[in-house]
Amino acid sequence: MATNQGVNRPPLEGVAPGELRSEEMILNMGPQHPSTHGVLRLVLTLEGETVVDCTPVIGYLHRGIEKILENRTVMAGIRYMDNADYLSPMLNETAYVGAVEQLMGIEPPRRAQYIRLITNELQRIASHLVAIGTYLLDLGAFTPILWTFRDREGILSLFEALGGSRFNVNYMRVGGVLHDFPKGWLQQCEAWCNQFEKNLQELETLITGNEIFEARTQGVGYVDPQQAIAYGLTGPMLRASGVNWDLRVNRPYMAYREIKVNPQVRQEGDCYARYRVRMQEMAESLRLVRVAMDQLPGGPISTRTPIALRPPRGETYFAIESSKGELGIYFISDGSEYPWRAKIRGPSFVNLQILPELLRGHKMSDVVAILGSLDIVLGEVDR
Amino acid sequence: MSGGVVLAEVWWEQLLHGILSWEFLEFVVVFVSIFGFVMTSAVILILAERKVMAWMQDRYGPLHTGPWGLLQTVADVGKLLLKEDIHAGKIDKAVFILAPSVFLAPVIASFAVLPFSPYISLPGAPLATGIVYLIAMSSLDVVGVIMAGWGSNNKYALIGGLRSAAQMISYELPLVLSLVSIVMLTSILRDNGLGTIAIKDIMNFQMAQSWPGKGNPVWDFIFEGFTPWAWFILVQPLLVLIYYTCGLAETNRSPFDLPEAESELVAGYLTEYSGMRWALFFLGEYGNMTIVSAITAMLFLGGWSGPGVAFLTAPGMAIGWQVLGNLLALFYFILKIYLLCGVFIWVRTTLPRLRADQLMQFAWLILIPTTLVNIVLTGALYLLLNALGVSNVVFLVVLGVVNWLMLFGFFWVVSRATTASTRRAVAPAIRTRQRLAALAPSPAAPRLPEPERAGVTGAGASSGR
Repeated sequence: MATNQGVNRPPLEGVAPGELRSEEMILNMGPQHPSTHGVLRLVLTLEGETVVDCTPVIGYLHRGIEKILENRTVMAGIRYMDNADYLSPMLNETAYVGAVEQLMGIEPPRRAQYIRLITNELQRIASHLVAIGTYLLDLGAFTPILWTFRDREGILSLFEALGGSRFNVNYMRVGGVLHDFPKGWLQQCEAWCNQFEKNLQELETLITGNEIFEARTQGVGYVDPQQAIAYGLTGPMLRASGVNWDLRVNRPYMAYREIKVNPQVRQEGDCYARYRVRMQEMAESLRLVRVAMDQLPGGPISTRTPIALRPPRGETYFAIESSKGELGIYFISDGSEYPWRAKIRGPSFVNLQILPELLRGHKMSDVVAILGSLDIVLGEVDR
Repeated sequence: MSGGVVLAEVWWEQLLHGILSWEFLEFVVVFVSIFGFVMTSAVILILAERKVMAWMQDRYGPLHTGPWGLLQTVADVGKLLLKEDIHAGKIDKAVFILAPSVFLAPVIASFAVLPFSPYISLPGAPLATGIVYLIAMSSLDVVGVIMAGWGSNNKYALIGGLRSAAQMISYELPLVLSLVSIVMLTSILRDNGLGTIAIKDIMNFQMAQSWPGKGNPVWDFIFEGFTPWAWFILVQPLLVLIYYTCGLAETNRSPFDLPEAESELVAGYLTEYSGMRWALFFLGEYGNMTIVSAITAMLFLGGWSGPGVAFLTAPGMAIGWQVLGNLLALFYFILKIYLLCGVFIWVRTTLPRLRADQLMQFAWLILIPTTLVNIVLTGALYLLLNALGVSNVVFLVVLGVVNWLMLFGFFWVVSRATTASTRRAVAPAIRTRQRLAALAPSPAAPRLPEPERAGVTGAGASSGR
């Protein structure tokens, strides 16, 4: 068959060359499929239920965000960053404005940095909540996703109070943030944190230690540390493989220079470890939000920047620790109002590369278990 | 040919007599009401499931159709009936069209042998081989599923159908074996040593002849025919668990809902079905749930026994009391069925799904050995205690204690086995990875895209037919 030619796959177990063998089945998983987290298409070559090979086909959600950014002024581009990784708009905006600030040499006021930290950590919790909820849904548990979305709802309401929009907040500005916290926001946030602490415990009780969940995830999709580094994995994917690398700690930016983060690392390197890292990071983010709210300094929330922002001629790379890994912006300016190039280094895109490697030899049911544990967002993969 | 002529003359007369007879009328009434029960039961169960799941998941569930959303499933049924009947292209048409009926028919046929109350039942209920009939019917379901999987001309459906076939056949065995011990118990408990596989008889074994305060009308009213301490669930709790687990697998319910695992196989063998054909599958599934719950209630929870039933339906009572007693029995029975269905729903909201190979391991390596051990143990224990000359009550108590201990041992084994099976299951993947690592020039070096791999992308993209 033409489709099988040149497939670079390992010899099957127990099948000598030239021996009679059954034919493989090619299964198109996606782009319309409940658990490919958007519009990812996987071309699976199956031997029975065992995956022999997998080819991810991406690009179904390509909206040309990087090109759009080139055709918008810097301030107008912030809003388009929301749509890249649509589960963590705050983090995307922070990366974008951070790159511009780095190029222009602006240091936002301390209060603005703390506000950014609080919103970023809340956004990280929201993103991890979606990751865990959908992951458990992929594994067949129906309840966690509704619980996590209930908690995420609180975060979105807080963002709505901040930026006027629940999802595409458009809140960060070059040199600071759009508004200060409205009246009563901190109390609301505190109340949400207290509630979420209980809910997180409840979620942990429901999922962690469940025999079926452990059987589905432990030892599945193992990534060893060397392999993780070789593939350029970042974020929870990397830390679950035992590599202690967190940009908030190793290359601290903004308020992370003052508030110390405890990176969450696990050694197992399997799907279970990735799930545990995300759970632990949510607790850690919750702690960071509380610490930042306690130490919140006064003062202005923004430096004075011209409305027609003209970054100086030059280029820069600025990366933050997004919910999924290193989210970097490679920003080139020709001195005009428009960025000459704004390249997004999306962690989802990079983390997805290892998928075919992980899937080979696993069962078909493990495809969704492994894919879900990567926590990709197709908006960021295709951009 | 004269005999034929005679037959031809009388056949319509016989038919007329048959139709006009009291028995036939009774049959029609009971059949229609039981058929109606199956249908409405599915509708009620779907609504109950949605409401209970909503309650467990901190949300509202259906809310707007009728008061508190009670008419939601009625509206759904109306929608499904009116929906266009869509066929995918190049299906095996006869198989595709027949599959829903083949799936649903055994479910409805199963209800033929279920007694609903002392008097309300189909004429099939006194069948002496009730359990065998039920098992036979529940095994037939798999044919419909395979037909649906094959006829749909869809890869997801095919995988779903094959998975379902393997699953249903595997779980049929522990299901049957878990009932064998119950049949053994009946043969031990009966004086002449002859056991029974009639459902109603097994139920009667769970009604003790003595209760506290016998002779006092109030206590008699409550306890006559209602002796929860004699229910088989107390003697064989492990079997209830195993039977119920197998029931979950038989009905394709979570955590054994692999054949229609929506996150992997879209909707499994149901992928290409829509409208009323899809609804027939759904109906069959919920009917199956009712059947499994009903059998559990019958064999382990005393069936329709409840306060007042046996007292009111005793031979000497007036007809009005008899009717009331039967309605009470019906109420208790359906209550038990729905409580057990509630456990189905509860399990569904709690547990993730197993993987196909883990599912098979669970059936063949854990459930079947456990049930076999239980059978041997029950027999051995009886022989031992019989040799010592103790009474049946002592035997039941000892058996119960042993079985409760086995239940906790079972939990321990399962928790150990899941860990072990995980290790086994990932072993091939790890070996593959090691081989790949050996093939690669250096494990740490990033693998560059090779020309062949680019070829795969192109070929894979063109294979999207």
